[in-house]
Amino acid sequence: MRRFSFLWAFLFLILLWEGIKLGLKIPEYMLPSPQRVLSALLSMLVSGELLKNTVASLFRVTWGFYLAVFTAIPIGLFLGRNLLAMKAFTPIINFLRPISPLAWIPIALMWFGIGDKPAIFLIFLASFFPMLVFTMSAVTNIKPIYFRVAKNFGLKGRDLYLKVILPAALPEILVGVRITLGTAWLVIVAAEMIAVKSGLGYLIIDARNSLRMDKVIAGMIVIGIVGLILDIFIRQIERFPSVEWSQMRR
Amino acid sequence: MGRLETKKIGLESEGHFHFLKRPRSEILALFLALFWLIFITLLHFYISYSESAPKRELLRIGFLPITCHLLLPVTLKRDNYLKTRIDPIKYSSWPDMIESLKGGELDAALILAPIALSLQEEGVPVKIALLGHREGTGLVVSLKSHIKRAGDFIGKTVAIPIRFSTQNLTLLKYLKENGVSPDSLNIVELPPPDMPSAMASGSIDAYIVGEPYATQGEFTQKGRIFLRSRDFWPNFISSILVVRDDAINKKRELINSLIKGLYLQARWVEKNRTSAAIITANFFGLPEGLIRAVLEKKEVFYRDLIPQKDEFIQIGKMMKRYGLIKEVPPCRLYLEWLK
Repeated sequence: MRRFSFLWAFLFLILLWEGIKLGLKIPEYMLPSPQRVLSALLSMLVSGELLKNTVASLFRVTWGFYLAVFTAIPIGLFLGRNLLAMKAFTPIINFLRPISPLAWIPIALMWFGIGDKPAIFLIFLASFFPMLVFTMSAVTNIKPIYFRVAKNFGLKGRDLYLKVILPAALPEILVGVRITLGTAWLVIVAAEMIAVKSGLGYLIIDARNSLRMDKVIAGMIVIGIVGLILDIFIRQIERFPSVEWSQMRR
Repeated sequence: MGRLETKKIGLESEGHFHFLKRPRSEILALFLALFWLIFITLLHFYISYSESAPKRELLRIGFLPITCHLLLPVTLKRDNYLKTRIDPIKYSSWPDMIESLKGGELDAALILAPIALSLQEEGVPVKIALLGHREGTGLVVSLKSHIKRAGDFIGKTVAIPIRFSTQNLTLLKYLKENGVSPDSLNIVELPPPDMPSAMASGSIDAYIVGEPYATQGEFTQKGRIFLRSRDFWPNFISSILVVRDDAINKKRELINSLIKGLYLQARWVEKNRTSAAIITANFFGLPEGLIRAVLEKKEVFYRDLIPQKDEFIQIGKMMKRYGLIKEVPPCRLYLEWLK
């Protein structure tokens, strides 16, 4: 019973939704009923629309997020070790970071046209800066004693990065990866509200244009569920020996 | 106490060993991550590559799901030649489509006449090819707002689709002719599909928009059409087809047959309004009853679609008067240029 306590919470939410709708007599076009949303969800599941759009969104998030992670980590490791470079670039990073990916939409459309590319670009932007900041701070947080020991052993250059800096910074970097993935998934709807023909964001905007509020809410539910599943997977990162090691150290 | 400390030290040294040995789990995770990348990419391209891949040889036309753009779905459904040679791209807002058109991603687009003129003023190489329709715009007022005369608009919030629209120009012209200053009311830009619900929730008092969203406002029983374009601006123009110069150079034959096709279908639509409504509702995914109501009530017309230069110059002059553009643009027309 206790294991399924979350189901009761969901049930409560649905009852609340139905109750508010009936109680306040909200018309269908303002807030569709749970039954309508469920039937929209089922019909999209059967028609394959749901699978197609979910796959398209996951594809774009995967590419944007991977590109960000695999560029931000090396750059962050380098900047974290070079105080002068970090001092020089931090203002630029802090200047670009608060610009919402939404603000980049006009530019993304003009540079990358339509299709997958602008969406991937926006996901990349949304994930790159948080990842870079996490990596940089992870490197600067490494205890100086590690570097002294490394120096004693004569480690330099590539060896220093691979054998000391990366393993020591990895726990914090992986926490960053987890948080950044959440952000990336958050941006997907906005990224797909522009000229693409698939994806969960497109599903929502298209349903809105067709005046189908039930499909809009169904799309929102799917985004929530996929986000939940992604988080469950990415949480496994915390079980990595390198992360557990850092938690034990504290 | 002593024992605890030893345990702590023991754990820490164990930890050090862990990272020196390079634990397996991260490597496994990297493999899984790589596998996921390949898996999702292949799956995505398997399911929707044919749709997401740009088809360069086709004529790429941008549109919005509004009845102003009805000729496109009707032509795609009924014209067997054009059916396979057009790649229609659906947008949800005017700015997104304009940016694609500017970037050269689209060969042609159905856009609002004032947008086309402002693009020409900016120097974007586009020519006006054909009108999309005539009439079909309504100023809808909320029943709660008790608007009965022009003067009642003072202090109210009115939504327009975008400032570069003949809807906006109509509103400004109406206010001016009735001696109301546009500054005395709050004019906001809102995507057309949001307008009926924004009015139902009370956040706007009125809106001016192309069909089917004006009729939709009446359908929600929260508003009524206060002013129709035909009562105020005869032969009202809203959406038009524009083509880019580079597309004209590369795909002239196709563009000519497109214009001809749209023109012929327009004549068919005038005689078969119900069938046209059903085709359009299916293509746009809009409620069939709504589109049928719009077409059967004859809110919108598909005749006299050949663009006339003086009509555009008149719109340009109005735009200049209301400060939307600095100079009246050249109003380049495709058919005129072809001669």
